[in-house]
Order: sequence, then C-alpha cells, then structure tokens
Amino acid sequence: MRIGVDIGGTFTDVVAQGAQRTVALKVSSTPRAPEEAVISGITRALDALEADANHVSGIFHGTTVGSNTLLQRLGSRTGLLTTEGFRDVLEIGRLRTPDMFDLTWEKPAPLVRRRHRLEIIERIDASGQIVQPLDADSVRRAAEFLMHEGVNSVAICFINSYLNAEHEMRAAAILREEFTQLDVSVSAEILPVAREYERTSTVCVNAYVKNELGGYLRRLEESIRGLGITAPVFVSNSNGGVSTIGMAKEQPVFFISSGRSAGAVGAQRLGTKQGRPNLIAFDMGGTTASASLVLEGALIRTDEYEFRAGISTPSRFIKAGGYLMRVPAVDVAEVGSGAGSIAHVDRGGLLEVGPRSAGADPGPACYGKGGVAPTVTDANLVLGYLAADLAGSTLALDADLARAAIEDKIAKPLDVDITEAAYGIRQVVTVNMARAIRAVTVERGVDPRDFDLLAFGGSGPVHACDLARTMGIERIVLPTAPGVFTATGLLGSRQEIYDVTAIGQELDKIDPAALAKEQEGLRKAATGKMLSQGAETGQLAFAYELDMRFVEQDGTLPIEIGDSSDDFDAALVRESFLKAYREIYGFASSDAVEVVNLRLTCYVPEESASVGAAQAKAPNSAEVAERPIYFGPEYGWQTAQIYPLGKQPDNVHGPVVIATDDSTIVIAPDYRIETQEGGALVAHHAPAVRERIAS
Amino acid sequence: MSAIDPVTFAVIKSGLDTIVDEMAYTVMRTARSSIVRDVLDYSATICDRNGRILTQAKTVALHLGAVPDGIKALLARHDPSTMDEGDVFVLNDPYEGGMHLPDIFMFRPIFLDGDVFAFSVVIAHHTDVGGRVAGSNAADSTEIFQEGLRIAPMRLFEAGQPNETLFEIIRRNVRLPDLVIGDLESQMATCLVGEREILKLARRYGAQNLYGYFDALIDYGERLTRETIATWPEGSYRFRDFIDGDGMVDKPIPIVCEITVRNGKLDISFDGSSPQVKGAINSTLSFVKSASYLAVRCVLNQEVPNNAGVYRCIDVTAPEASILNPQSPAPVAARALTGYRVVDTVMGALAQIAPERVRAAGEGGNTVVAFGGYESGTRKPFVMVDMINGAWGGGMDRDGVDGVTNPSQNMSNLPVETLEARYPLRVDAYGFRTDSGGAGRHRGGLGLVRKYTLMAQKAVLQVRADRVDHQPYGLDGGKSGAASENYLAADGGELSQMPPKFTQEVAKGDCVLHHQAGAGGYGDPKTRDPDLVAWDVAEGKVSLEAAEHDYGVIFKDRSLEIDHDATRHRRATA
Repeated sequence: MRIGVDIGGTFTDVVAQGAQRTVALKVSSTPRAPEEAVISGITRALDALEADANHVSGIFHGTTVGSNTLLQRLGSRTGLLTTEGFRDVLEIGRLRTPDMFDLTWEKPAPLVRRRHRLEIIERIDASGQIVQPLDADSVRRAAEFLMHEGVNSVAICFINSYLNAEHEMRAAAILREEFTQLDVSVSAEILPVAREYERTSTVCVNAYVKNELGGYLRRLEESIRGLGITAPVFVSNSNGGVSTIGMAKEQPVFFISSGRSAGAVGAQRLGTKQGRPNLIAFDMGGTTASASLVLEGALIRTDEYEFRAGISTPSRFIKAGGYLMRVPAVDVAEVGSGAGSIAHVDRGGLLEVGPRSAGADPGPACYGKGGVAPTVTDANLVLGYLAADLAGSTLALDADLARAAIEDKIAKPLDVDITEAAYGIRQVVTVNMARAIRAVTVERGVDPRDFDLLAFGGSGPVHACDLARTMGIERIVLPTAPGVFTATGLLGSRQEIYDVTAIGQELDKIDPAALAKEQEGLRKAATGKMLSQGAETGQLAFAYELDMRFVEQDGTLPIEIGDSSDDFDAALVRESFLKAYREIYGFASSDAVEVVNLRLTCYVPEESASVGAAQAKAPNSAEVAERPIYFGPEYGWQTAQIYPLGKQPDNVHGPVVIATDDSTIVIAPDYRIETQEGGALVAHHAPAVRERIAS
Repeated sequence: MSAIDPVTFAVIKSGLDTIVDEMAYTVMRTARSSIVRDVLDYSATICDRNGRILTQAKTVALHLGAVPDGIKALLARHDPSTMDEGDVFVLNDPYEGGMHLPDIFMFRPIFLDGDVFAFSVVIAHHTDVGGRVAGSNAADSTEIFQEGLRIAPMRLFEAGQPNETLFEIIRRNVRLPDLVIGDLESQMATCLVGEREILKLARRYGAQNLYGYFDALIDYGERLTRETIATWPEGSYRFRDFIDGDGMVDKPIPIVCEITVRNGKLDISFDGSSPQVKGAINSTLSFVKSASYLAVRCVLNQEVPNNAGVYRCIDVTAPEASILNPQSPAPVAARALTGYRVVDTVMGALAQIAPERVRAAGEGGNTVVAFGGYESGTRKPFVMVDMINGAWGGGMDRDGVDGVTNPSQNMSNLPVETLEARYPLRVDAYGFRTDSGGAGRHRGGLGLVRKYTLMAQKAVLQVRADRVDHQPYGLDGGKSGAASENYLAADGGELSQMPPKFTQEVAKGDCVLHHQAGAGGYGDPKTRDPDLVAWDVAEGKVSLEAAEHDYGVIFKDRSLEIDHDATRHRRATA
C-alpha cells in the first residue's frame, strides 16, 4: 500500500491506496510541528482501510517547509567559507536586474551577511592544480568566529572546486570533526559544476534551509517509524520526481518546491490520459494558489530558478531578484492567495485580500477557533458556495461567526451590506489568483483562451468558474478527487536520481570504450544508491544524455544516447545534435561539436494506476438538496441544486453544486457541466444560459 | 481592423516581450565569445516594417535607442521592395548607422504574404574587428581607420545564401575569426528565432489585426510618456558633468545638457559640450539619443512600454563636430564611456525635475580591462575583454545598491571560473571596496575591486576607466562616491598608480588592480540612522574611521556598540 501526503498551509492531505480501495482525507495542518498532522492523517487512513503498518510499501511526501523557510526568512544563521579574495561573490551575484529602467529595484538581502562570509587561505587554479595549499588554521579561526557569532550552519564554496574538491573536503572534515555543532554544506557534494556565483548561491540556500527542513524531515521520519512503518519514505523534489528522505535531509536545496511540482506532474499525467495536451493547472489551497502550464503534453521545466516572494518571473533570460538555485525544477507560479487569506480594508479604503493567511490555527472566523479576521472561506460560506460542513465533515462551519467578521471588518468600513462585502472578497481573490495564471500564460505571450483550466486543491473548484470567466477560458476540467489531487499525484511519482560526470572533449575525439566505461561507472553508482533505497534491480531503468554544444559556446543541448552496450556512433550523435539545434535555432554551424557532460537519470518506471484513482466519495449526508448562492449583481441569489458526487445528471446547467468529501465544485449559472466516461467532470462556458435567465 | 480587445492587447504586448526575451536567451545560449555569452554585451529587438521599435529585450539599453538611426541607414540604401526572403543585412560603420565598429548590427526582414512585415534586429559587441589594438576598443586611437573593419549596410546573406565575399573579408581582418563568425552565426540564429515567433503571433491574430495592435502599442507608449511629462514643471533645467580626459590630452571634457519641459515634450540640448576630441571617446548622435532616451525612461513609470512611442516625446540635439556629434574620421571606439556620462548628465538635470525618481550618480559606467596576446606554448591568440560593473547611488527614500549593472545596460559579469578556464589569466580578487560608497542619509553603493595576474608570457593590456578626477556626484547634500583608481605591478615590483586610460605591454606575473568608483550618496550623512551606520560597519562596508568622520557616529572602544551621547554631540558640533 502506498500513501501520499501533501502538506499545505491549512490542510494536510493524505491518500492511501490499498489493494481494494483508496482512502483520501484531509486533516488540519499543524504548522508548529507539521509532522503531527501527517501522523494523525496516516493513522486515520490505516484505520479506515483496516490496515497495519506493515502493509505500507512506501510513503510519498510533498512539503512546503523548504519554500516557507526561504519566503519567511526563517532559516538558520548561516556562514560561508570562501576563497581569499572572493568574499562578496554571493552578494555581487550576476549584476543584472529583473527589469530595465527600474531605479526603484532593490537587491534581496543575501542569505549570508557579509560579516559571516569569511575568506580561507587556499587556491586551486583552472586546471585543478593547487597553487596555494589550504591553511587549516584559517578554517579553524573562521569556524571559531562563526560559532561566536551564533552561526549554526555553514556553506563551503571555493574557487575552482568543481575541478578539484580536495580543499573543500578537507575544510569540511575539519568542521565536521572539530566543530560538531556546525551543520556543513559543501559545494562539491551538491553541485560540482563551474561558475562560482551559481554554485555558491545554491550551496548557501542548502545551508540556510537545512536545519529547518532537515529537522522537520528527521522528526517526520521518527514519527513514521514510531507507527511501526518500516517502508521507505520518499520526498517529492522541485522537478516533480521523488527521492529518499535521506537525500532530502542532506540536500534540501533540491526540495524547495516539493509538493507544488507534484501537482503539476499530476496535471500533466491527467492531461495525457484524457487527451488534453494543453492545460493550465491551477491549484488553490488554504494559503497559496499556484499555476503551471502543460503545453503540448509537456511541463515547462528549468535547470535553474530563483525563489522569491510573489510570483515566478516569466522571463527565461533574466532571473535576478531572488535566491538562485541551479537545480532542475518544474516552473510553477505562486501567489499568496488561498481560502484562508485574510481580507482587510486598508487606510486608503481599499479592500485587500492576503497575503496574510489565517492558516489552520486559528483558521477562518467560521471555524470558531478564535479567529476574528474574515477570510475567503468566510465569504464563500456567507455567499452559499460552501456548506456548513467542510472537508469531509471533520469541521462544522459557523456562518454567524463568518457574517459577524465580514460585517465588522469589511462591510462597516466600506459602508456596504454583508453580501456585497463578501462578494467583494471573492472578486479580489479571483483577480489575485489570476495573476498566477497570467504569469505562466499572458506574460509569456501564451493566450490562455487556447487552454483548458484544470482546477484542483481544496478550493480550486470553488473558484474555477470565476477564474475561467476572467481569463476567457472555455473549458474547466475537474479531477474526481480535486481536494487531494496533489497527494494522489505523489503516489504516481517516479523515484529517480540524477548523476553527472564531466567529459570535456570534442565529439570526434571521444573513445567509445572510454565513454562506455563512464556510463558503466554512473550506472553502478546509481544502482547501488537505488538498491539501498529499497528499489529492486529488475525495476531500474537508465537514461543517458550527453550535454553538447559547438566549441566555445556556453549553453548545451541534451542529446540522448543509448546504453553502454550499444555501439557508440559519433556521426549519428552529431546528426542528432545538429537536428535538435536546427529545430530550436533554425540554423546550425559547421564547426566542431564538443561533449561537456554525461548525464544519467536512473528511475523506477511509473506505476500506472495512480491518476484519478482516488475517487472522492460523496459526503455522508448525501442527499440531493438545494441552497441559495450569490453569483454577483448580474445573477443575484440563485437556488442551486446540490448533488453528491456521482449522483449528478450527466449534463446539467449551473447553478449547481457537486459535493465531494474533499472539495466543493460550484458551477456558475453561465456554465454547463458534463460527466464523462470514467467519472471525469468537464464544465463548458455556456453564455446562452445567461440570456435564458435574463428573459 | 476590429476594435482593440483588452485581453488580446495584453497578450500581444507580452507576446512581443516574450519574443525578444527568447531572442536574448538564444544569443546567450549560442554565442561563442565571453563578451557576448557571459558579459551579455548585446541587444535584441523587433521593429515593424517602418523601422519602429516595438519592444526591447532586457539587454544593453544603450544600444537600442540607436536602432532607429541604424534602420534608417539600412532603408536609405536598400528599399524594402528590393529585399528578398532570406536576406540578412549587417552594418557597423558609425558614420552610416552604427555606433562603434565592434558593435555589428544585424537585420533580418521578416516576410508575410510576400511583403516585408517586420525586422528582427540583433546587435552584438564582437571581441575583435581588427585595427591597431586587440579588442578594437582602444581609447587612444586618433582616426577611425585605426579602429578596424568598417561595414556599410550590406547583405551578409542573399536570399539565404551566404555572401562569401563579405565573410572572407571579415575573416581576414579580425584577430579571432572563429569567434567573430561564431557570434555572427549566433546573431543569425537569433534573428530566425524572432522571425519564427512573430510569425506565430501573426498567424494567431492575423497580420492586419496585428498591425493595428502595433500602432495601438506605440500610441500607448507615447500617451503614457506624455501624461507623465505633463505633470512636470515646465521650464529649462541645466546640468554639467565631466569626463576625466580622452587618454591623449589630459584635460577635463565637459558634457552639458539642458532639458526644456514644454507641452508634454522634452527638448534635450547638448549645446556647450566639448568639441570633438582627439582620442576615441567621440560618440555618434544616435548613441547620444539612445543615452538620453534611457535616462528619461528611468524616471517614467514601469508600465510604460519600451517602444518607439516613448521616443516621439523626446527631441535630442548636439552641435556638429562636437564630442556628441562627431565628423568622420574622428575615432569612436571607446564611446561607451561618453554615453555613460551623457546618462549621468541628463539624470543630473532630471533630478531637478523629478527629484523623487532620480538617484545620485552611479559608478560612471563600466571599466574595460582588455588583454590581448598569444598563449604560451600553443601560440594561440587570445583577446579577453572584461567589463567591471557597478553601483547605484542613494535615492530620496532608499540606499544605493552595491554590485549591480549600470542602468544603461543590463550586463552581467564574467564568472571568475569561466575567465580562468578560457584565458591565461588569474583573478586574485573580486569584491566590494570598503568606504567607496558616497556618504549620505542614504549611502551610495560600493564600487568593486578586481585584480588580475597575467599567466601568458606577454600581452597588450588596455584599460579604460574614468571618474578618477571627477567623482560620481551626490544629491541633496550627499557626498560623492570614491574616485576610481588603476594600479599596475610590473616586473615583480610593487603596485603603482596608473592613469585612468592606458595601453601598455605586460609580462607574465604582472598584476593589474582596478578600484572602481563608488556611487554618490543622497542627503546629509549626519542625518543617517546611526543603527544603519553600525550595520555597515559590522558588515565591513564602512570603516570605523569613516563612520566617525563622514557620519559622525562614535562607537564605544572600537566595538560595534554606538556611543549615543558622543554621537549626538559630534553631530551637533560638526
């Protein structure tokens, strides 16, 4: 049995896929100790399936602890040891600004302040030779100073260490042996590639989040073991694959966008399955909303990205403005708007929603846990979008508390009635969330009207119609268990590890036997790691790529090559490179081609059963009913039929609500919803309905 | 065409931005030389069939204002009706559409239904285009004929076929033909990417429709610009700044500008600026326009699009035969410096018009350090052109920025590891320069330090710096940034100070050290929050001595604890 666990700011989603059936549930997140919610969720899932701990074959986990640590600057006090003369590499960065002509731009404060960036006497030259031996005492002096300053995590990055790691490893050994209180991150262990700024920044992010994310994962693992579960625990990485929890603890920089990427991968898989190659995947949870693009069946991926508050940059060319990580990642835009976002009226009399969130504790006013600030959930309750029993009836919502909060904090200051105030909150949050969709579409010159909207997350289907209408999107696709879509997606994640070795030779000069040996080396190392992570030999698949370019270029293109047992044909490989190059750039040179790196991805091919396998069940009180919902000044209050999932007619106009135990699907009066084969739901914009109502 | 639909308008506006972004990315991925692929000295844009700029990539801003004059020169020689599909044009002659010889402009007419529909344009700074000094960038040439190969607007490709004559002439006249041809191929690939992407847009929305939106976008740019200018007080505003010297004659060179605000338009006159000079820092008028546009653009709101509509509101004039409008054969290779000073000067005048939007002067433009020679052993030629950037000044409501591109460009730095892997050089230091930021209520950004050691037997070293005698100005009582300094240690000797601009032979083991100027401060330094001064001292960005002397902040026993009484006393009496 596999268990998927996705932690959001408000809810922790758990999906357990047993042999006979699948259980999906949401529990309130416990932000101060996120593992507590995970454990209670897993316990409940096991109970529901009447299963034992030893039935669990794997736990797949997505977490926002890494991104929150960076966003809220909650990481460790971090130090950096660097080569003499290069203390400021991290803060100088690559100099560029995200926008031209913007003199108001300010550089984000570096994760390691200058005082804690210390120079070590050592030097390795561009051929990997030591030209200045490591002065061990300068390492000790630096460590003592950092300890005195209260630093507890240290990054090490020396110039040219990608060619010779000896000095970095010796410095690390000194710290690890003599200064055991310091957590150490070494560039040679994390990213042994050229370019000092990118490498330094990556290793500093790693050091900065390591205690926070690593500590959390350690506690999580202990708690899971405490349940008697011995199965491997996997964590979803920023690229949408999963790796073992052990790797996540040591190299957290690869796991900053854990979770969000799993949702995107799930969306891509669902799109493939349903024959929808062009999707905007929209995920709305309690604290944030995010969007990613599936274009012609593929996710947009990047090999380096920057993390910062607000929204991901639409530019491939300019990054700047955040904390750079040279790690593979799925491109996901995120805004701080979710169901728990707090609405307030600012001093200028403007209604604003978010980015502050009521989270799980105290939660929205209607939770009755002491929250008095009105949230998006309160507005949705007052307007009838939500029933009084949310999230599988584990919570009863108090509409009077919601109404009071909105009246007090919004309606009175704005001098409007409660309905108008609540609808105002909905409109503002829609506009905010549309920014995430714009970032991955309009701002890249992609017309959102050419796409379907896939809405998921606990609140995605509550807002999907408004968002689609705002963006001019005709079709909305709703997965069958939208509220736990990401957790379900995690179940289908591919276990994978990457490895790379430098080749640095012109293609024509490559000795096939030597290359085969390199491939063999990578394969053996990867096999060893995967086996130690619980995989079985027969399961493993290997994909090799050469990073290739014309001589003197910087950018490379990955060109797939066969297994080491195949005959290596340089002419064929060159042809593949030229073909790929021409496809992208329209033009290829006749110059020599060089091979920079050999890359291996070792993975366990996906299990097929995952997507949509979690079928949300109808809520317990599952009778067809109705309730009034406010759809704005144009439509006013309208009575919507409420169907438990599975009981809705095959083809029905809004207004209609389909209630599942993990989410609420609200179809507006100008949309029509169809149930397709396999239970998938698709809503179409049907403006004709509007005329019918108007007449 | 049909009416403007707001969503389509937004998609096309961002669509154009995305196209030039892809173009910029393509250059970075496919170029061969470090100056292009690492330092990013290039620019990309899309023009409509009349040569109007539709949008700009986030590349070297100083290039792009010169594109209208470049395309004018192209169209004067080649009417669009004579162009064929697959034609590619190049030019670099400053006296016919270019700026300086290393910047080769490439234009590719994009055809739709048999007619020229738009142009993709890519300008790249080539590592070498021949002439007397490797890098073709020397400040001490005296005629353009010493500066390298001049190319009038002509076809590099004719209907898709390479013009072998021109290719061969280029190959024979440059020091590093493989890099130059490789970078031209990169420009070519980039033009093709621009063409492919804009044709997608044309197919999605219809060519006629798209043209309607292009007009609307340019009008929108003009409208927003005029609206902002209309809020500025009418009148004339003057400012003067200096270049230290031209490298030939050690005499300050004045740049004078007067901005007249009237009827929602700006007239920028450079009357009173220096006559053209002997050394190679003369700047074409197209480049002066470019610098002026971008300075004005920096004080407009961010939402103003970067297109030809903005230029319609700004008239730029400079006297004939002046340093800002030279006559052939005046040398121009190091004209970038003059462009930076034009930006500083226009900014100084704008500070009187919109003080809340202008920062004190930045570092004054990048410092160029170039080494050219032959590698030991292999005798392979090398030319390393490095550009050192930069710092921003303090503003009315914020501190300056330490380590950032000059706003005239959006250039990057050459990674130390890349530099060392490619060239027989070692970098010994790259970091901030303590106390170089101009003191002020808002401190100016720190200048940078960069130090190199030559590992080859010998090379020709060329340095172009400035702001040695004329420091970056402060505003509203803020102090100037520190002056820049050049040092050279030759023959195993000590470092000794060098002039701002020099060219000389160096040998293995010789060291060059540059201290870049810091940026100016804003407001009286005695009013700076003492806690911020203490933070800067803890960071090592301001020394204890400077904290006391410049800011009047006293610390207890040389610790980091502020002595508030002593500070108040010092600030009251100083």
